[in-house]
Amino acid sequence: MASVRRVLIANRGEIAVRVIRACRDLGLVPIAVYAPSEAGAPHVRLADVALPLPTDEPSAGYLNPRVLVDLARQAGATAIHPGYGFLSENPAFATACEDAGLTFVGPPAAVLARCGDKAAARAAAVASGAPVLPGTPSLERAEAAAQAREIGFPVLIKAAAGGGGKGIHVVRQPADFERAFRLARGEAAAAFGDGRVYLERWLEAPRHIEVQIVADADGGLVHLGERACSLQRRHQKLIEEAPAPAISAGLRARLADAAMRVARELGYRNAGTVEFLVDGDECFFIEVNARLQVEHPVTEAVTGVDLVALQLRVASGEPLPFGQDDVVIRGAAVECRISAEDPHRGFLPSLGVIDGAVDPAGPGIRFDSGVWVGQRVSRHFDPLLAKIIAHAPTRFEAIVRMRRALTECAVSGVDITTPFHRWALDQPDFLAGDYNVRSADAWNDGPSSSDADRVAALIAAAWFAGTASGATLPVDGAPSRWSVEGRAEELR
Amino acid sequence: MKIETTVRGAPRVIDVEVLDDGTIAVGDGAADRRVRLHRVCGRECWRIVIDDVAIPVRVRATETGADVILGASRVAVKVRRALPIPSRRAAVSDESDRLEVRAPMPGLVVAIPRAVGETVDAGSLVAVVEAMKMHMDVAAPAAGRIEEIRVRPGQEVLGGQVLVAIRVGGQGASKGGGP
Repeated sequence: MASVRRVLIANRGEIAVRVIRACRDLGLVPIAVYAPSEAGAPHVRLADVALPLPTDEPSAGYLNPRVLVDLARQAGATAIHPGYGFLSENPAFATACEDAGLTFVGPPAAVLARCGDKAAARAAAVASGAPVLPGTPSLERAEAAAQAREIGFPVLIKAAAGGGGKGIHVVRQPADFERAFRLARGEAAAAFGDGRVYLERWLEAPRHIEVQIVADADGGLVHLGERACSLQRRHQKLIEEAPAPAISAGLRARLADAAMRVARELGYRNAGTVEFLVDGDECFFIEVNARLQVEHPVTEAVTGVDLVALQLRVASGEPLPFGQDDVVIRGAAVECRISAEDPHRGFLPSLGVIDGAVDPAGPGIRFDSGVWVGQRVSRHFDPLLAKIIAHAPTRFEAIVRMRRALTECAVSGVDITTPFHRWALDQPDFLAGDYNVRSADAWNDGPSSSDADRVAALIAAAWFAGTASGATLPVDGAPSRWSVEGRAEELR
Repeated sequence: MKIETTVRGAPRVIDVEVLDDGTIAVGDGAADRRVRLHRVCGRECWRIVIDDVAIPVRVRATETGADVILGASRVAVKVRRALPIPSRRAAVSDESDRLEVRAPMPGLVVAIPRAVGETVDAGSLVAVVEAMKMHMDVAAPAAGRIEEIRVRPGQEVLGGQVLVAIRVGGQGASKGGGP
């Protein structure tokens, strides 16, 4: 790996730790950067070199191409891995790296630019023959009703100049179309000074399924199967799994084929994800995520491929070390995203200082974490703290292992999303694999029951008595402080 | 001690006693249980063992009590000490031999059927307090002699306020000392 020897990781938290581990496995030198408040973070501890960023403010640190490139040069880095988020899909950053003689571990800037432009990405998908959501260019009233019938109901009317939800109407029956169309045009004209609208097929409760692809610089391209990521809140994924449950072999093959077509059309390189909406047995391209994804470990679990190591190898110019026929899916994997959010209050961010944490472990469990005791969860960064990945020969066994891991996982000091996960893993729809992007809505700030109320009251009373008395309650494994003190008193 | 908890507006008085072996006896009237509370990590993460079943919980202190997160649920519990009656052990270890009997709850003193100097047995009635149309008998936790009466019938008292003081043991503990 001539061009990739010393790797600056332009990211933080669990993904920085993940990239450091891949560097170690390949004998590369990992170089970390960190914000001033993160000096105690695991990625700082695990790297060979750790360089401080000027401030916690991302615009002057993790989001600043010049600062990162300067630090990379200063540390003698030969490559930069951007992780996900921050600058990972920023074409200007990729260009700045290449200009400074640093290998950017990701797609070339031109590919990033095309993937980042929704219209360009859709055009590439159409050109490749991949299915996209049926839609129209902007329309006049005369032709609209006929077009709507052609697309099928329900249909979405959207303002061409739109944004922010204005001028958007879902029409479920042909009889309602004329009125909604007039309304949408009026709203669009009032809100944007432009009354043009267009139509798009509306899916009531689609599933979100995505395909992992990896391409090398010599035209080698493979897919690593699909992931199902339908459990979402505010477009944030909460649980992902591989392979997608309850889809037909035909749909699975069509998804992979469409992803490969889009990747070829884009001239894709490195690791990426092609996202689809699935409705019944139909799939529709939505976008390409031109980077490593948060949920990549479920694919790693079922394929046995180290995606981050593969990214680094492909970026250094190596060809893919295996072909499509070598990719075999073994078992099933589930991932839960542990975020510092309050699931009982609309998943609002939960800020605070983490004063204790216990990592889940054991057979079939992988825990990718950026948590440390003393960590201040601040408004500056993404709330994702860690990920639990459970792998087993069958989907049900993986879910059982995940339940076990969720009972072990503990974080003190901030709210985390595990109560949601524990609920979701017990839902009949989820267990049947029959869930969609609306399924998480049923959580509705969490269940309540008179049993839980009663036990909670007992717990609160015991906790109050134990802590208010001034005595320290026993720590796991240690003898009870009361019994120790009781004995001391007897001996007096 | 008695702890008053309130969940979703429903109050529930729970008897809690921290025992010498580190277990905590809790009872809410419907059932009495021995539980153990183990700290898992930090200030908030615990494991409660009830009837040989270990339940991981997070207990987060709030201004009025605690938020208890167990399983998928979060339950906001208002907690306050309702009945700070000294235990017998506390009475015996009291070096002054003086025992203060306190109001079990905020309310109105209905009766103090004792006079200063009178001897009482453990369990003898020393006061009656009324709250929310409920009369509660307050008993002497140990035998002794009434040394002081701090309140009079008709008086409003706070929860935990001293009603009478008893000088424990010796002369007052003799049989037949009470009426």
